[in-house]
Amino acid sequence: MKPKSRRRNLRMWRDAFLLVTPFTLLYLIFFIFPTFRMVQLSFTNAPLVGSGEFNGLANYQRLINDWVFWKSLKNTGYFVLLTVVPNTAFGLMFALMVVRLKRIQSMVLAAFFLPFMLPVSVVTLTWQWLLDTQFGISQYVLRLFNEGKSIAVFNDPNWAMPVVAFVTIWWKVGFNMLLFIAGLQAISKEYYEAASLDGANNLQIFRHITWPLLWPITALVLTLQLIAQLKIFDQVYLLTGGGPFNSTIVVLQLMYREAFQNNRGGYASAIALVLFIVIMVASIIQYRVLRTGAAR
Amino acid sequence: MKNLRSLSVAIVLAVLGLVYAQPVEVVWWDFLGGGDGVRMKALIDEFNATHDDIQINGTTLEWGVPYYTKVQTSVAVGESPDIMTYHLSRFPSAVPQGLLRPFSEEELAGVGLSLGDYFEGEIEKATVDGQVYGIPLDIHAIVLYYNKEILGSVGLLDENGLPAGFDGLDNFNAAMQKIKDEAGVIPLSIEHGSGTAWRIFYSLLGQQGASFIEGNEVVAGEAGVTALQTMTDWVSEGLASDFVDYNASKALFASGEAAMHINGVWEVPTWVDFAAAGELFEWGAIEIPTLFAQPATWADSHAFVIPNSEARPVEGEKLQAVLEVISWMNKNSLFWATAGHIPGYAPVVASDEYQAMEPNATYASLANNVLFDPDSPVAGVASPTYDAAGNLLVPALSGQLPVERAIQMMKQELESQLR
Repeated sequence: MKPKSRRRNLRMWRDAFLLVTPFTLLYLIFFIFPTFRMVQLSFTNAPLVGSGEFNGLANYQRLINDWVFWKSLKNTGYFVLLTVVPNTAFGLMFALMVVRLKRIQSMVLAAFFLPFMLPVSVVTLTWQWLLDTQFGISQYVLRLFNEGKSIAVFNDPNWAMPVVAFVTIWWKVGFNMLLFIAGLQAISKEYYEAASLDGANNLQIFRHITWPLLWPITALVLTLQLIAQLKIFDQVYLLTGGGPFNSTIVVLQLMYREAFQNNRGGYASAIALVLFIVIMVASIIQYRVLRTGAAR
Repeated sequence: MKNLRSLSVAIVLAVLGLVYAQPVEVVWWDFLGGGDGVRMKALIDEFNATHDDIQINGTTLEWGVPYYTKVQTSVAVGESPDIMTYHLSRFPSAVPQGLLRPFSEEELAGVGLSLGDYFEGEIEKATVDGQVYGIPLDIHAIVLYYNKEILGSVGLLDENGLPAGFDGLDNFNAAMQKIKDEAGVIPLSIEHGSGTAWRIFYSLLGQQGASFIEGNEVVAGEAGVTALQTMTDWVSEGLASDFVDYNASKALFASGEAAMHINGVWEVPTWVDFAAAGELFEWGAIEIPTLFAQPATWADSHAFVIPNSEARPVEGEKLQAVLEVISWMNKNSLFWATAGHIPGYAPVVASDEYQAMEPNATYASLANNVLFDPDSPVAGVASPTYDAAGNLLVPALSGQLPVERAIQMMKQELESQLR
C-alpha cells in the first residue's frame, strides 16, 4: 500500500471513530449498562432504590411458584394473539383500499393515520368515554347485543382483554397501513399489466403477485408487531389496571407492581429478564418461520 | 485605608443582615388535589402571611401510587422535601423502609405540642416500635350522606331530621326497600371502585368484630363472606346502584336519583358548595349505621411526617421551622375541618366552634369507633389491598365473581405478596 493511501485509510478510520463514538457511548451508558445491572439485580433482594444482597436464584424460584406471574404470561400471550395478526391484516386491508383511491386518497390516509399520532393517555381517555356504561355512545351498539343493558366492558372478564386489543388496533393500525402502502407502491406496475392482459382476476392477482411480492413488508410488520405487543403495558394500566380479577394483568404490569408498589427491585428485575428472553426467543423463531415463508 | 476597612466591615455586616433576615424555606409536598386541597392552600397562604421567618413552598402531587413511589425515590437520592403529608395507613410499609424520621417528645414540646393532645387511636397508628413517626392532622372516614327530602317523604326521619331505625342489617335493608318502593329512586349510591368497595367492606368486617390481616395471613374468612354478601345483595336486589364509577356515584346522589350515598367525609365541600349555589336539596350526613354486632367505621388520617433522608437530613433551623409549621397547622385545623375532616388535634375538636360545625358535629361520634387499615405492609391507601379490592371485590359486587371465590382469591393474592 502506498503511504499516501495508508494515510487516507487512517483518516477514514479516525473519522468513522469520531462519528460512531458519541452514539456508542450513549448506547453503552443508557442501554448496555442498565441491562447488565438488571441481570445483576435479578440475583439480589434489592429494593426499588439501591442495591441489595446476593440471594442466588431465590427470585427465580419465587417466580416459578408465583401464579400471578403465570397468569400474566398467559394474558400477554392472549393479547398478542388478539392483536398481532389482526393488526397486520387490517393494515394490509386498509392499504389495499387506500391505494385504489385517487382524489381523496390523502384525506382518507390522514383519517386512518391520525389515531397513531395521539398519545396513549388521549387514546384511552377517548375510549373510556366512548365505552362509559352511562354516557358512552358505543353502548347504544352494545345494548343491541345485551338485551338492552349496558356492558361494563372494562369490568367484564370476557370483554376486558378483547376491548383493550381493539383499542390498540384502532390506535396502531395506521402505521402498519403506511408501511404496506409503501410496499404496494414499490411493486412494479408491469406485473399487474401483464397479469390483466393474461386475463387474471383480482383475487388471482392478489394471490400470485401482490401477496408474494409484499411478503418482505408483511414479515417486517409481523415482527415489529410481535415485539411491540409483547411489551403491552400502557393500555392495560390505563384502561383496566389488570382487573377484573386479574383477567388482564400482563407481565410488564406485574413488574411495575412489584418494583414500584411492593418495593421489590430484585424480583421485578427477574420478571423483566424473563420477558426480555421471551421476546428475544419469540422474535428469533418468528423471523426463522417467516423467512422460510418467503423462500416458498 | 481606614475608610476602606470600615466600608468592608459595613458590607460584611449588611450581607450578614440579609442572610439573617432571609426566611427559612420549608419545602412541602402533599397529595391534596380536591376540595380539601383548596382549603390547604388557603392555610399555607395564611401561614406565610403571618410568618416573616418561615415560608412554606408547597407542591401538590398526584395522589396514590405515584405519590408514594416518588417519596421513596426522592428520599433515596436526597431530593426529598422537608415536610410531607402521609396517610397513617401507609406507616406499616413506610417505617420499615426507613422513609420517615421519628419525632421526640422534646421536639414536640418545644413548639407547644404534646402527644396527649391527640386521640389515642391515631397516635397508636403513628407509633412503630415505641417511636412516633407522624403528627396527625385529621381523621377522615366514610359516612352515610342522605337526602332529607326523600327520606322525609317516606317517613324515615325523626323529629330532629335524622334517619331513624337504620341500625341492624334487617332494619337498614327494610328502610332501603321502603325508599325503593315508595319514592321510586335508587336507595343507595356507591362507587364500584377499589376505594369505596374496600372501605365499606372493611367497616362491615369490623362491625362483626373480625379482622382482615393478622401477621402474614388474611383472616377475613366467614365474616368477610358475610360482609361482601351484604353489599352484593344490595346491588342484586336493586337497593344499591349497579355499576357506576366514582363521579357517577356522586352525580346519582346530587341529582336526587339516589336517596343516600356512602363516601368519604372529603366530599362534604362538594355538597356544601352545591347547596350554597342553590343547586342541592336539604342534605345531612351520619355515622355509618351499625348493621352487625358493634359500631365500626373505616378511617384513615392525614399526618405530617419528616422524610428520613441521609443525603438531605432535616435538622437544626430547618427542623425548628418544620415543627413550627406542624404546630401551627394543628392549632389552626378548625378551618381544615370545613373540608369534612375531623381534626386530629383534640383541643380543636373540643372547641365550641367545632362542636357547632355542621355536618361534622353530627357524625363526630364516629371518632370513637374508627377502624384504621390493618397493620400490614400490603395494607393502606393505594396498596396491594386496595388493588385487590378493585380487582376482586368490585367484580363480586357486579355479580361476575361468586362472593366466596372473591374472598378466597383475595386471601391467595395478598398472602402471596406477603411471603
